[in-house]
Amino acid sequence: MSKRVAIVGGGLAGFVAYATLRHGGLASSEIAVFGTDADPAAQWRTRAAAIRQRRMRSESDGHCGATSFPGLALRTALKQRDLWPLVLSVCDRYHPTVEEFLEHVGELREASGWEESFRRARIRRVRVVGGGFELDEEGPFQHVLLAPGHPGLAFPAELERDPRAVHAYEPHDFADTVEVVGAGMAAATEWLNALEAGASVISVRRREPERRPLNLPRHLFTRRGLAAFHATGHEERAGFLRRWSVPSYPQGRDWDEPVERAIEAGRFRVAAEVNGAEQIVCATGFRRGFQHDELLKRLVEEQGLETVDGWIVLAPDATIPQLTDETRTLSIAGVPGQWAFPAADTLMGAKYAARRFLRRVRACPTP
Amino acid sequence: MSYTLRGRLETRLAASLAPLVGACIVALALKEWWPVELAGGMIAVGLALDLTLYDRLFPYQPGWVALPLAGLELGLVMAVVRIVGIGAPLTAALVFFAASWLLGQVLVHAVFPLTRLSYGDDGGELGVAGPSAVVAVVALAAAAGSVAWATQPPTVRLGAGIHQGPLVIDHSQKLIGERGTVVRGGIVVTASDVTISNIAVTGADIGIKVDGAENVKIEHVRIAGTSLDGIQARRASVEIHDCLVHSPAGEYSAGIDISFAFDLAPSLVEGCTILGGREGIVTHFSNVHVHDNYVSGTTLRGLGLTEMSMVMAEDNEIENALGVGIYCGDYSECMLEDNVVGGTRPDVSSGDLTRLGFPIVAHSGAKVELRDNTLSRNSGGVRAFLGARISSE
Repeated sequence: MSKRVAIVGGGLAGFVAYATLRHGGLASSEIAVFGTDADPAAQWRTRAAAIRQRRMRSESDGHCGATSFPGLALRTALKQRDLWPLVLSVCDRYHPTVEEFLEHVGELREASGWEESFRRARIRRVRVVGGGFELDEEGPFQHVLLAPGHPGLAFPAELERDPRAVHAYEPHDFADTVEVVGAGMAAATEWLNALEAGASVISVRRREPERRPLNLPRHLFTRRGLAAFHATGHEERAGFLRRWSVPSYPQGRDWDEPVERAIEAGRFRVAAEVNGAEQIVCATGFRRGFQHDELLKRLVEEQGLETVDGWIVLAPDATIPQLTDETRTLSIAGVPGQWAFPAADTLMGAKYAARRFLRRVRACPTP
Repeated sequence: MSYTLRGRLETRLAASLAPLVGACIVALALKEWWPVELAGGMIAVGLALDLTLYDRLFPYQPGWVALPLAGLELGLVMAVVRIVGIGAPLTAALVFFAASWLLGQVLVHAVFPLTRLSYGDDGGELGVAGPSAVVAVVALAAAAGSVAWATQPPTVRLGAGIHQGPLVIDHSQKLIGERGTVVRGGIVVTASDVTISNIAVTGADIGIKVDGAENVKIEHVRIAGTSLDGIQARRASVEIHDCLVHSPAGEYSAGIDISFAFDLAPSLVEGCTILGGREGIVTHFSNVHVHDNYVSGTTLRGLGLTEMSMVMAEDNEIENALGVGIYCGDYSECMLEDNVVGGTRPDVSSGDLTRLGFPIVAHSGAKVELRDNTLSRNSGGVRAFLGARISSE
């Protein structure tokens, strides 16, 4: 059978889309996945290991399965024959370990037939052709979901060539004195890592970090908050996305107590600028904007897509309106899909795009 | 979950469908309406809270909040049951509520997310299944309501003035009088599901006689001038509320007599005033709740609870009885609580040593349990005779 659906990007967002399509009844022979690594968690695993992440920020339903039930809490409860994960889950206090999450990804990868659909290739161009889209020389595909992932690590301009600087998501050890630039989840994790390694930490930040359990307020993960978000005009929506893009990390003793102890011991302080430490860890996340991604940049330029301040304008269902009609679909999942779902760079965001993509695939007749 | 208002309502109604169907089946099996009424009450309370409170209060609702909200809803549903007068047994109502809630939790956390992938992202909205669920619940409720309406007993209104009896009610109906409606010659009820309300009865051997009928309600009636009983129920299950029985005159007269109905649903006598006569309220071989009545001036006993009856008598006032205030006899079991018995006079002329002005008498193997009764100005005290036992807390 010819493949009519393609996923560009073999990371977690592409994997979530694949699992969703398979759950929705598509055979693996109907789907092509283009990526650079057969392990959908490869990049994520490297970054999580770099910041020594132990637990997920997401909760029980932060997994790659198509349905939110069963969640990871139930999975762990059954495995360990212990109800405690479920109790924590109903109180929104269950955060799976990184090992649990990766184990689940491995199982799902095996069960979903991912290997049968995966092709090792970096797609550089999407062309609109009769019957859908051509991906480099592959295709045409009637429905395409682009999940290119983050377009590279972000460094402060002044530190880009500084030999002392290392990005938090790159493997590193700690010097005796470490300046950690940033105020988000990665920065907070690095404070604890460096303190645990015996280093003194200087948190370099220009604003106090926001504290919230998830990347965004919870109502913005559902139609309750999204309806108002989708009703905004372009400028307002861009402002909204900028406002909610500020760094944040969760509340809780696990985060605060080690820092408080270190402050008392004179091993932790806050500064506005870097100032001569042995090592600078840039916990400054990723580059932002489609223009940093070769594939998206070319697509925007060639197709004249509407953009606002680095975001590609998408329909609420995460499709590109100019290139989607009753016969074909071009969707974006993952971080470049924020115009449709502000928390697009989370697993919930990947599912949001994937579910709507599946809906379109089902609704469009096969030519 | 961050529900939208529509999501809340659709989820509520979809989750209510199975309990409503279950209630209809139970109602058919029991030939009772309370399961459907209870399910309707639950749905109504839930929808009202969704619309007025939950949507505003919970932009996001963590899983654990379902538990206190269930407590709130249970309290409100039970209040509705009480206020509206839904005849649901307490245990059955609690089990039904708990089972419905548990089913709802399973649906919300497992079944709906499995069957509709975007259930969570859509704020609990169910897509095309949502309106279908709404239509199904409304259709089912409308069907149940139509059946209830169609099977309601007809209402017969008696105008003001004197109506010559005896009136014989041999099919289900509501007989409702206007102010000043009097039936002379008594009323005889031989059909179940009858309500008699707001009527005065005079000039009969028995004011209102209920024979072999169930679910008979007698409320706001005034009975005077009878030669036997004011109200007599034989092999019948009755609810009597707010009656006045005045001076039954005969040698064997009783204000209210409920007899030979132990195998039927319990009867209730509540809020009645009985003045004079030989006995106030009498039970023989029956299961009766006697609550909040006033009995005065009887010549044999205020309450006569006998012949293996099981009676809960509470909050009654027995005043100025001759011989005995409350009598529990012949292997009956009587729970007497918060009653006031006063001014019981000795019946010396009878020569009966068990009638010397005792406020409470247990007789012939009866068991009486006393709790918080007030006994004053009586000639004698509490007494047990012939193997009867009295215990108190």
